[in-house]
This record gives sequence, structure tokens and C-alpha cells, in this order.
Amino acid sequence: MSQNMIEIQNLSKSFGEHQVLEDIHLKIKENEIVAIIGPSGTGKSTFLRMLNFLDEPTTGKMTVGDVTIDAENYSKKDVQQLRLQTSMVFQNYNLFKNMTALQNVMESLVTVRNVPEDEAKEIAIEQLEKVGLAERQDAYPSQLSGGQQQRVGIARALAVNPKVLLFDEPTSALDPMLVSEVLQTIKHLVETDNITMLLVTHEISFAKDIASRVLFMNEGRIAEDGTPDEILNHPEDETLQQFLNINQYN
Amino acid sequence: MGFDFNYLLEVLPNLFYAARFTLYLTLVASFFGLIIGLILAVIGYYEVKILNPLAKVYLFIMRGAPLVALLYFFYYGIASYSTFVSEMEPLNAVSIIISLTAGGFMAESIRGALLSVDEGQKDAAYSLGMTNGQLMRRVIIPQAVRIAVPSLFNNVISITKMTSLSFMLGVVDVMGSARIEGSRTFSYFEIYGGVIIVYLVLIGLLMIVQRYVAKKFSEAY
Repeated sequence: MSQNMIEIQNLSKSFGEHQVLEDIHLKIKENEIVAIIGPSGTGKSTFLRMLNFLDEPTTGKMTVGDVTIDAENYSKKDVQQLRLQTSMVFQNYNLFKNMTALQNVMESLVTVRNVPEDEAKEIAIEQLEKVGLAERQDAYPSQLSGGQQQRVGIARALAVNPKVLLFDEPTSALDPMLVSEVLQTIKHLVETDNITMLLVTHEISFAKDIASRVLFMNEGRIAEDGTPDEILNHPEDETLQQFLNINQYN
Repeated sequence: MGFDFNYLLEVLPNLFYAARFTLYLTLVASFFGLIIGLILAVIGYYEVKILNPLAKVYLFIMRGAPLVALLYFFYYGIASYSTFVSEMEPLNAVSIIISLTAGGFMAESIRGALLSVDEGQKDAAYSLGMTNGQLMRRVIIPQAVRIAVPSLFNNVISITKMTSLSFMLGVVDVMGSARIEGSRTFSYFEIYGGVIIVYLVLIGLLMIVQRYVAKKFSEAY
């Protein structure tokens, strides 16, 4: 149970002169639900994307599941292996526009993991049922609402049975009316599946509701790390207090 | 004098018959142009080391140099150093040069279409563990094709018209046979009127195909 699922040492990332992430150390245990909050532009999304190697760290080491990558010495194969440990839900859904909902969910099973087509289809339908969209399986993304697209995105991420699920501001691009259906879907997941989850979000009350741990990021560092109660109800750090004031009571 | 309608009817069949070279060159150049264009576009899209700067130089030359100059440079210029070129049939020489030029045009159309597929889908594919090749085949190309088709058809129309320069190397295409006929009868009015008709018919047919294909592609998703 209390095995480390993610272990990060000395991880930094810079774009030229600009230091985006500075010396991150972090351990995340299996089945932890970690919410990452913080002001915009402080590296939350970059941090999450790095766990999936969509952004490359400049220095440091990270272990996700069974795969360890050293930022200064890795191969293409390491990256591929790392990516198979996690899957990601994006702010803008990023569904493949030339594929139906079902094909989107099946795609990586068939092309990357060599699952036979009929088996992949079964898994995909099961996942679409889980997010409540089985009857829309033949719809193209352009025929779905933002909330529905994001739920397909979640089904696609779940289908590969990842060790860690990464959510990058999954509701930020959504119409306010559609936010709750996506949050409900995520909450349902947390309640029914055993899964390790990292969630970058601006929905503070949602984070309080589902997270077992909250990270507050500021200026490329993890400034605070604790339980939702510690971080959200009894913040000590001044920047965190300000941040919560702006976000919680608006 | 006036316009001799009967003479026009008399030369038209010959001009249409000569259009077989126009058709042949258009088909050959469109086919090889598409292949060259796709390769160049993918090189440009991934900014492949070493090859990308070379591709850019190639595109610059093909875009900037007049086709007539390229034809003469290749067929008369290079021929003095290469027996392979000097012994080449004019039709083949024209096929090669127009294919190379068409490749340049088509590369631009295809590159634009590849770039129109948003970055987010690329992120999604990578995050799922897909390789560059799988991303290209499964996601980018199927979407880019839809976007590229209208401009590729415009490229084919340009190629059709470009082939009219092949007479300069002695190919007896529509323009070539018009020139021969003109030097015999001096009835340029009717002959070149006929040439224009032949091209308009060819391109009109192409446009019908274009409309049909465009409709096909706009149906799904």
C-alpha cells in the first residue's frame, strides 16, 4: 500500500535563462490523490507534463511506476516506457478529431499496446460506460459538447490502465454549466477505482473534496505540501493565504 | 479575314490528340510531385537535421527559378556534361523537371495542411506512447489530407498549364502542334483560340473531379 509510485529528485527545468521549475523533490505513494494548486504561470502544468515527458526536465531524476529517467541521460525507449506508466487528461481535451469517441479510446490500445481489435473495443466500451457516454460511442468530437469530449478524454486515459492518472486543468476550458459533469466523473473514479492521481486544478473546493494531499506551487517550487485540511483550512504561508482568498471567496 | 470557324473545327481534333502528352505529363508530374512534396513536407514538419536546410534550398530554387530556365538548364546545360541527359527523350526530361517543380509547390500545400492539425493532438498521441510514425499515419495525415485536397487540386491545375512549356524542348504537345500548324498556315487566331479551348476543357474536367472529391472529403466528421 504505502509504496512510492512517484519519486522525484532534484528536478529542474529551464527555458534558456528562465527557470520554470526549481529543484523539485517529491514522493507520491500509491493511491494518493494529489491536487496541485497555485497561481498561473508557476509551473504546475509544466510539472505535470514533465511526468509524461511532454516537457523535458533539464536536470534531475524521476521514477514513475517501474521506470526511472535521468534528465541528463536517457534514451527514446526510456521515454516510451515512462509514458506507458501514466496517462493524461488535457485542458483542451485533445481528442483525435478524425476518430469517433470509441476509436479515440481504442487507439492506443491497438497501435501502441497491440491489443487485438475486438478486445480493445470491449475495453473501450466499458470505459465509455464508466464516463456515461456508451451511447455516444460513434460520435466524432465535433459532435460532442466540451464536457462530453472531456469525459471521452478521461475514458481514453483510463483505457490503458495507467499506474498514474494526470489531469491538467481538466475543467478550465469548459463552459461553467459543463464543469460539474466532468468533476462528477472524476469524483466517481476516485470513489470506485484504486488509482494514483495528480490533478492540477483551480477548483479549490473540488480539491478539498477529493484530494488526500495538496501541493501549493509558487514560482517554480513546491511551496507547501500537506493534507487538504492543513493547506486549505489552516494555511500558514502568506502567499498561499492570499491565493486562497482570491480563489475561494470569489 | 475574320475568324475562320471551319478552320478552327479542322485543327481542334489535332490539338485534342496532342493533349495526350499534356495529360501524360500532368499525371506523371502530379504523381511524383505528390511523393516529393510529401517527403519535403514531413522533413519540414519535423525540422529534420541536415535534411531540412537542404529541403529549404530546394524549395527556394523551385519557387524562384522560372520553369523555362530550369528546362533549358537541365536539357541543354547539363546535357553537355552528361550523356545520360543528352540522350534523354525530351518528354522524359520535361517529366523530370516538371515533377521536381510540382514537388516544390505541393510540399508547401502539404506542409500547411500538416501544420493545421493542432499541437494538442500531438501531445495526446505522445502521452499515449505513440511514435512519430504512428502519429503521422493515424492522426495527422488523415486530417491533413482533407485540408490539403483543395490546394493540391489547384497545384494540379497549375501543373497542367506548366506542361505547355514542354514544346520548348520539342515535345509535340498542344502548344507544340499549334506551333507547327501555325508555321504552316499562319492562322494564329484560330489555332491559339483552339489551344485555349483545349486547356479550358481539360481544366474544366479537373474542376469537376475536384468538386466531387472535395464533397466526399467534407462528409465525415
